[in-house]
Amino acid sequence: MKKYIALPYYAVLLVIIAIGFQSCDEDLPTHIAYTPYEFASLDEDGGTWTPNLLTSPSQIGIPAPTDASSAEFQAELAAVKTASATLTSEQQAAVDYWGGNGLIRWNEIAREMSAKYNLAPSPTAEGTYPAPNPAEPGTYPLFPFAHPPYSSRAFAYLAAAQYDAMIATWNYKYQYNRPAPFNADGTIVTHLPQNDLPGYPSDGAVIAAVSKDLLSALFPLEAAFIAEKAEEHKNSLIWAGINVASDITAGDSLGRAVGKVFRMRAANDGMKNAQTPKPVSDSIRNDAQARLGWHWENQETPPRPVGITPKFSAVKLWFVPNVLAVRPPVPPTPGSAEFQTAADELNNTLDNLTNDQRRIANFWSDGLGSYTPAGHWNRFAVEAIIKHRLNPLRAARALAYLNMAMQDAGIACWDAKYYYHYPRPIQAMPGFKTILGTPNFPSYTSGHSMFSAAADEVLSHIFPDDAALFEGYSEEAAMSRLFGGIHYRFDIEAGHDAGTLVGGYAVSRMITDGGE
Amino acid sequence: MKKVLHIGISAYLLISSFSFLQAQTPTDGIMMDNGQICFAALYTHDTWDEYWEGTLKRSNGNVGTLTRQTFMPMFTLGIADRLNLIAALPFVTTEASGGQMRGSEGFQDIGVWLKGVAYENVGTSATFSTLATLGVSLPTSDYLEDYSPFSIGLGCPDFSMRGILNYQMNKGFFARGQAAYLIRGNATIERDYYYTTHGVYSDEIDMPNAMTYGATVGSWLFKNSLKVDATYDGLTSFGGHDIRRQDVGFPSNKMMFTRIGAGAQYFIPFIPGLGVVGQYSQVLTGRNVGQSTVITAGLTYQFGLWKTEEAAPESTN
Repeated sequence: MKKYIALPYYAVLLVIIAIGFQSCDEDLPTHIAYTPYEFASLDEDGGTWTPNLLTSPSQIGIPAPTDASSAEFQAELAAVKTASATLTSEQQAAVDYWGGNGLIRWNEIAREMSAKYNLAPSPTAEGTYPAPNPAEPGTYPLFPFAHPPYSSRAFAYLAAAQYDAMIATWNYKYQYNRPAPFNADGTIVTHLPQNDLPGYPSDGAVIAAVSKDLLSALFPLEAAFIAEKAEEHKNSLIWAGINVASDITAGDSLGRAVGKVFRMRAANDGMKNAQTPKPVSDSIRNDAQARLGWHWENQETPPRPVGITPKFSAVKLWFVPNVLAVRPPVPPTPGSAEFQTAADELNNTLDNLTNDQRRIANFWSDGLGSYTPAGHWNRFAVEAIIKHRLNPLRAARALAYLNMAMQDAGIACWDAKYYYHYPRPIQAMPGFKTILGTPNFPSYTSGHSMFSAAADEVLSHIFPDDAALFEGYSEEAAMSRLFGGIHYRFDIEAGHDAGTLVGGYAVSRMITDGGE
Repeated sequence: MKKVLHIGISAYLLISSFSFLQAQTPTDGIMMDNGQICFAALYTHDTWDEYWEGTLKRSNGNVGTLTRQTFMPMFTLGIADRLNLIAALPFVTTEASGGQMRGSEGFQDIGVWLKGVAYENVGTSATFSTLATLGVSLPTSDYLEDYSPFSIGLGCPDFSMRGILNYQMNKGFFARGQAAYLIRGNATIERDYYYTTHGVYSDEIDMPNAMTYGATVGSWLFKNSLKVDATYDGLTSFGGHDIRRQDVGFPSNKMMFTRIGAGAQYFIPFIPGLGVVGQYSQVLTGRNVGQSTVITAGLTYQFGLWKTEEAAPESTN
């Protein structure tokens, strides 16, 4: 019986390795980390700016606040003083998270919801596709399907409502001019940068309320989560020492009322009919076939009988007068020489794709499971807002015009897509294969190109120092679709031109709204 | 032929029968003598047409049948008594029979392992041994791991620690069990936002660690010229998330499977050192993986690189 024992050496080695591999696992970021900043300006005249939907900054009334010298106010000050004096670690975390500009977080929350709900319905065993039902949002497929049209509209309503609400807020802040608690009582401890903004109503509370109102309507299954976030946002204002309770109550009521105005527009803006039934979708297709001699068809297995929102084009625009004003020219006939040039470019590019081209295609894919191109541009806007230390009113203005322009771009793009009903490369070039999945809507023009060109116009106007950066993003986003194999060059170029026009309408409005 | 190293079977078990499993470490009880080297060239053909979307088993018309082929050269070298160095570098190609997306191909991860005998008891009728393997595998090319179901690997560093219990009877029968713990580093992809169970603003993916386990029984026959065996093994992940409904797979999915396999290795009598190996396996249960059917075939060739003064006691399997 021969024995060989090296076990002790192996045991020691294992222990050493186990200790060595105590993986320092840093949690990956789930939101942007930023230090709450001092606002670059206060925009004391913000209450005179022109809202986009409210008839005036004072359309919605709020009660006058109690006087700064009143007993009620003094009692509220004392409550804040106690609350902000010492914070638990959870309270401090909430204050740090919400920061002094809650728009940043609500924008992130909107992006999260867009990504969470951006999944297509799964086919049944019979090969049919059920559709989300807003009356029964929790029954599969869940409502909503947050595809690019839905998401661009969601971001637009949220941002537009936040902006009108901020104009109204600034109007009342300076009308009533009641000091923020730390300016009324210098002994109150604050956990966010101080400034001279009047406290009533609380802009943070307005933002929480209007965001909760809009997002709960847009993502009904998230209502409980959203309510929790709004509650935490409002509480964080007291913990931070920057608002008293009546600031928040007034802000809450103002935010809810503004939300209601925007929800009424949303209920009647045509989105209800955007996802057409099959007969309507077929008639749109047949109309294009008769007019042009071609049509788009979904190439999935099993095929999806209806594309995404064939009538998104009929949804109410914000700034563009009508879709005809920005509709691109007719694309080349499939099979023509001009078409063949574009097809050859696609074939050559995909057959010889460089790693950098692949990276660009993936970086900008913003497809199913993501926050869509509109979400991606919201990220850039938020980064610029932080970099330039915009106050909530000015930040809301940037996000509002950006997102309204992008929804307009989506509406105009979907007009071109279903008017021209152009086949995608995988349909018109048999045997052609891509590296990105082809979405369930026609080709011409490229949504990425239109969303990005419109966003570039607006953001470059607001942040001229960063214009080159935004232009670079826009060009790369557009080219990414060619590298992915899902758009022809003429899709991208026409999309860029039309998107630039769309952005121009938003900028024209911006120039006159008082906030320049 | 007792000393001929057969690594083919252990290799197929590792190299990955479907998209998301990394090259693992040799799982059998065979050791090369000091100075002996064995080269292997293995081809693996892996197909599935159903997969588990989380725990929901389904097919996908836009994929059809997913075929994954692996070409893997590897060698095992006895660097000291009861200590082997193993290295392997698979080249993987993937393609789908359905849909309109391009497959993928490239060199996957290079794996290097040290395998040693920790305990050995040579009895009159059988030998019982305990072996341990430590390994590292690292991606060698810039392949895109965020390209389900075509990705050729997980794209992350992988450290493995494996223990093997081996029982070999002199008459030919053997049985062994093995388990390994796999520590994964982060993978890096080409977009900087993705959604798992929540959004992540990073191009890095926190990959779940994993464990493999299995048991094999078999026998040497015909004067040790033929080995046949059957294996039951599996993988389980610690952490990770399920594929959402109608979503695509993602490297950090919680991957699990069990499978059975059978194989044979034949040592060609008139060409000393040359062996031919074949293996078949079928995934039985799974989570976030394809239900792969895998066939592996290959050649092994062993010879002495250098001589040692004293011959080590025979440890064969």
